[in-house]
Amino acid sequence: MLHIENLHVAIGDKPILSGINLDVKAGEVHAIMGPNGSGKSTLAQVLAGREGYAVTAGSVRYLDQDLLALEPEQRARAGVFLAFQYPLEIPGVANVQLLRTALNSVRRQRGEPELDAMDFLDTVKSKLALLGMDESFLYRAVNEGFSGGEKKRNEILQMAVLEPRLAILDETDSGLDIDALKTVAQGVNALKRPERAVVLVTHYQRLLNYIVPDQVHVLSGGRIVRSGDASLALELEDKGYGWLTAESGSQEEVRP
Amino acid sequence: MTPSLYRQALEHTTGSPHQMALRKVALERFFKHGLPTPRDEDWKYTALDFLDQAELHDPQHAAEDWAGEDYPGIVMRFGNGRLMDAYSKSIHAHGLADHADTPLVVRYFGLLADTLPSGAALAEINSALWQDGLLLHVPAGWKAAPLFVVHSASEADAMLHLRHLVVLEAGTEAVLVEHDHGTPDLPYWHNSVTEIVLGEGARLTHLKLDEDSAAATHTSLTLVQQARDSHYHALSLNLGGRVARHDTRVNLNESGAECRLDGLFIADARRHIDQHLHVDHAAPHTASHQIWRGIAAGRGRGIFDARVVVQPGAQKADAQQSSRNLLLSPYAEIDVKPQLEIHADDVKCGHGATVGQLDEAQVFYLRSRGIAADAARALLLRGFAEEALGLLKHTVLADWLEPHLAAAMPVLNKEHTG
Repeated sequence: MLHIENLHVAIGDKPILSGINLDVKAGEVHAIMGPNGSGKSTLAQVLAGREGYAVTAGSVRYLDQDLLALEPEQRARAGVFLAFQYPLEIPGVANVQLLRTALNSVRRQRGEPELDAMDFLDTVKSKLALLGMDESFLYRAVNEGFSGGEKKRNEILQMAVLEPRLAILDETDSGLDIDALKTVAQGVNALKRPERAVVLVTHYQRLLNYIVPDQVHVLSGGRIVRSGDASLALELEDKGYGWLTAESGSQEEVRP
Repeated sequence: MTPSLYRQALEHTTGSPHQMALRKVALERFFKHGLPTPRDEDWKYTALDFLDQAELHDPQHAAEDWAGEDYPGIVMRFGNGRLMDAYSKSIHAHGLADHADTPLVVRYFGLLADTLPSGAALAEINSALWQDGLLLHVPAGWKAAPLFVVHSASEADAMLHLRHLVVLEAGTEAVLVEHDHGTPDLPYWHNSVTEIVLGEGARLTHLKLDEDSAAATHTSLTLVQQARDSHYHALSLNLGGRVARHDTRVNLNESGAECRLDGLFIADARRHIDQHLHVDHAAPHTASHQIWRGIAAGRGRGIFDARVVVQPGAQKADAQQSSRNLLLSPYAEIDVKPQLEIHADDVKCGHGATVGQLDEAQVFYLRSRGIAADAARALLLRGFAEEALGLLKHTVLADWLEPHLAAAMPVLNKEHTG
């Protein structure tokens, strides 16, 4: 489904990713782990199409398309979803308005009829229940005044509504207490499908207690330095990143 | 406008001998100082000297009978400054000209406009030359139905001086909507004065939608006097005119009086839109809240100047201002001047003012959900405007307003974001 080959990415003339290779098949869950500044979030942002990053070499194929040639909205309509590490607040725009506008954009692309307000409400209510969210969430401004946990749940709600083929979750576990983490993980697990792949970007292993990955990759210094099964994550929890990153070195976090 | 042109216009006005005497006095007072100039601190950003060069006249023609739109309430229609009788049908609302000599009007007319501490020139011209307007009097024990006062301008180079008087007796309630519009791209000068007197516990919701033509000059002055425990909730949507100046002055004269002055301006194309608010907390336990949003695009210019004065002794006053503004073009300009003047020590006052651009990170967030870039920017812009419209939430007015707002929103592309 997703095939990343020798991906090099820079911000300005500072290289961030230096030759990423990754294969994600439908139905799989991959975890991308690594210390701060290893390039995890950059990878997630580049896949979603954020401006400000220069792809200096390599390619990304997604469902037989050149993903990097698509605009962010085209990627979303083609089934790529990024749950943001820091979801943005959109004052004055109700959650329900964003969800419906987004879903209808995606449905248009799929050749499906747009949903009117009533049909949409039916669709979204079942997804709310999945995440233990109250209906009042729909009528609040997008993420405005939401707690950290509410924002992350709201990201998963958007994912549930848009039903992507490839879901990339960027540090969805950060800032969550254990109950919120469980709720979010439950939501993600409920959305697992044979035709859907999930890429979890995370610093800590604890999320992987609840969403068990098929493969774990350790990113350091802009490269994948180790890949393994779920047990690799446990090993990292035990030993930290030091033993893997010593040779490649870590760098400070750089943003565009 | 030379003095002789103003005098000519005065000759075309009508009224009782008492009325005519008042008009003459007002015009002579105006001649003493003339129109405000940028040398006046309150008029620093808005020059009206082009009116001195203009040759305008009293409207000669009744307005054409226009179909207009559907309003969710009682409608009173004015055309070119005068009441179009056929459309007035409220027991509380009348044409002011026909009632100018009633004891009520004699008592309240000019009560606020004639005692302005400064910047009275436009009020004086209006007092001299006003043609007609609304008289809304809600007697004790009544709750008035929502009233739409619609003014349509259709005569080129006309001077349209509307004069409205609103008196709510103790304990009464009313919803008033002023909707000003004109033939597209027609030049004219619309100068209105609205005096509002709220009795004890009275509640007025006042929506003002200015859609005057893109070649018009719009000047308006809204003056409010509030008695104990009265509420004045106003929302101004300043979307029209080539040059527009909207002044609102509220006197919170007795304790428990509370006002909310919200608004939105959109200065696109070459519009110049200037809003001035002045709130006087003259008694303890008074509250004023302002939520304003401003948008400037193209070569537009917006000004937000709001002054809140807390008088000595007005303890426990609560005054809050929020003014956020968006610049959508490198040629647009917004000047923001929030002022709090506090002469009491036990008060709760705060203000926040920002001028910025659309946030490209927000645009990306929406795009990453499948929403096209242009649609994402339009959604953000509409959301920004929405923040000023809290007073209308869940009311029929919100539905009525929606198409007007949609039509006024500037069209965006990539250049508009930073």
